[in-house]
Amino acid sequence: MYCYKTGIAQIDDVSGGFEAGTNILILAPPMSYADQLAYALTKPLDGEYAIVLSTNERAAEVVDAFKLAGADKRFTGVIDAITKSSTTGIADTQRLMFVSSPTDLTGIGIKFSNMVETIFEGNFAEGETGLFPPPIRFCVNSISTLLMYRRLEVLYQFLHVLTAKLKKIEGVGIYLLNSESFDEKTLSLIKQLMNCVIEVKIEQNMSYMRIQGIRGVPGEWLKFAVVKGKVTILP
Amino acid sequence: MISTGVSGLDEMLGSGIPRGSRVLYSLEPGVDGQLFMLSSLSCALAKGLSCLVILPHTTVDAFRNDATKMYGAQLDLVSGPVVFMDAIDRERIQKTSRSEEGREREWQARIRKICRNHSVDVIFAYFDLLYEDFGPEKAIRLLESAREDAKTTLVLEHLNLGGTALLERFIGEFSFDLIVAVRASFRPIPHFNYFTMVHTSWSPAAPRSIPFIIREGRIIPFIPRIVVTGPAHAGKSTFVAQASDDGQSVDRRSPEGEPTTVAMDFGWLHWKDFDITLYGTPGHTRFDSLLPPYLRHAIGVVLIVDATKPDTFPRAKYLIDMAVKRRIPYVIAANKNDLPQLIKPGEIRAALGIGDDIPVFPISATRRSDVHFVLESMVDSITQFSY
Repeated sequence: MYCYKTGIAQIDDVSGGFEAGTNILILAPPMSYADQLAYALTKPLDGEYAIVLSTNERAAEVVDAFKLAGADKRFTGVIDAITKSSTTGIADTQRLMFVSSPTDLTGIGIKFSNMVETIFEGNFAEGETGLFPPPIRFCVNSISTLLMYRRLEVLYQFLHVLTAKLKKIEGVGIYLLNSESFDEKTLSLIKQLMNCVIEVKIEQNMSYMRIQGIRGVPGEWLKFAVVKGKVTILP
Repeated sequence: MISTGVSGLDEMLGSGIPRGSRVLYSLEPGVDGQLFMLSSLSCALAKGLSCLVILPHTTVDAFRNDATKMYGAQLDLVSGPVVFMDAIDRERIQKTSRSEEGREREWQARIRKICRNHSVDVIFAYFDLLYEDFGPEKAIRLLESAREDAKTTLVLEHLNLGGTALLERFIGEFSFDLIVAVRASFRPIPHFNYFTMVHTSWSPAAPRSIPFIIREGRIIPFIPRIVVTGPAHAGKSTFVAQASDDGQSVDRRSPEGEPTTVAMDFGWLHWKDFDITLYGTPGHTRFDSLLPPYLRHAIGVVLIVDATKPDTFPRAKYLIDMAVKRRIPYVIAANKNDLPQLIKPGEIRAALGIGDDIPVFPISATRRSDVHFVLESMVDSITQFSY
């Protein structure tokens, strides 16, 4: 089974990376640069694809962030739930798709399916390697925003379908959730859909993460930094 | 009657939706089914009916743009007799009324006013956020109480995250007249889309499912094709004949005196809500050029092998590879299990080089029950995806 390298030795050395079908929740407080961590884990390596559902940043900003992180933008797709509210006439392309707002779960589901289908059919980008099923990293930035627009029960059902589909296509899912804005019930319900949780905290201006749910990876706090799309574990 | 805009569906309904009906288009997550609502809206407008479109999830401008891109310029949402309530209205209602009751009253008052002032014939409502704001009972009551004229038709589109249980509620509890579920077969990506006419109050017709494609902004239903193939004399024609309610065999006597298929066998049957066409291919290699066009639009392949003739397995393997290359789901029917010198399924599996995920059914194609068992497995494997 395909393994998605993370660039984090503590994970890659033990398990070879994230196993295909893994759904990972990044639980982080605001202003902890967790989106950089999420993008670093979503960045497509050779032969891989990335799809980002962005409810916080415009597609152009996401593409720029991936470019800065050294990703090949030909293999990166964005479902943008922001831009259309101000630029109503904006048209979809193969790699950039737009939904009217983060409330539009119907649209989000359809665009996700369309993008995955295009990747599976080999029509997403030139220079494809032909790996089958094509390895896809999918990032939701963020569940917090979706929760502001839709009720927890509805979003849970929607994410249940999405995480199941991701397992089926042997992709990997990375979901960001603000750890400080929601109650315990919300966090625990969302955690139920995941195989792995990465908690992030900030102490004395340093970022720490704790990985739970990957066999062999110790659940201790690790000091880390993200530089140009690469996660470095600091001593 | 109001046309749905989907020709196959209109015919199933007896030329469309009766005025005053309550209609639900239920969309499975990820399925491109938004054209159903737009097609019905376009037909209502083309007929000169006055329409109210309720879109709490988006703005009128964004909706107009999307609808025109999806359906084309014929959908006149500017000069046609159409009024909108959109996300801005919802926001205003939420700001002005603090309690849920207050918001419910405000929605009702606004919808009623529009219906009265514009003599609205059809209300098209994107239901998700109303459902979420008020729950299904209240949201439906809200829309119901606003339509003062019993002739006003109500059409909802809803992202169904509640599965068949929710559809049952729409039928039993909310007394909807027409429920169309728009679904997809995922293997693991959408393999094909289909709609199921789950319920009609005015027709006793059993639920039916019809696959569709979207071409130039139109929903085109099609009859799925299952290809029955295999080496020569494996029993394909017998299989097709036993499976079919109706059909046509093209067997001719070979120089050796045995019947042999010289073109395609055709069979038709209604099975599990689908109208299925079976195409039985000839098994001889000289007909191989016929196979690619038939496989191109196939949704499944039944490969028949003669379980008493291992020397034909390499030929079967070649045919399997043609299906695999096109990512078409397939099952193996190991025929002639009523004869001696039978090869066991495990050995057939090994000889064909297939994994445990591909079913191998020992059958006798002369038994209708065996043949239907294979088809049931085939249809299940291409239509079912459990979350």
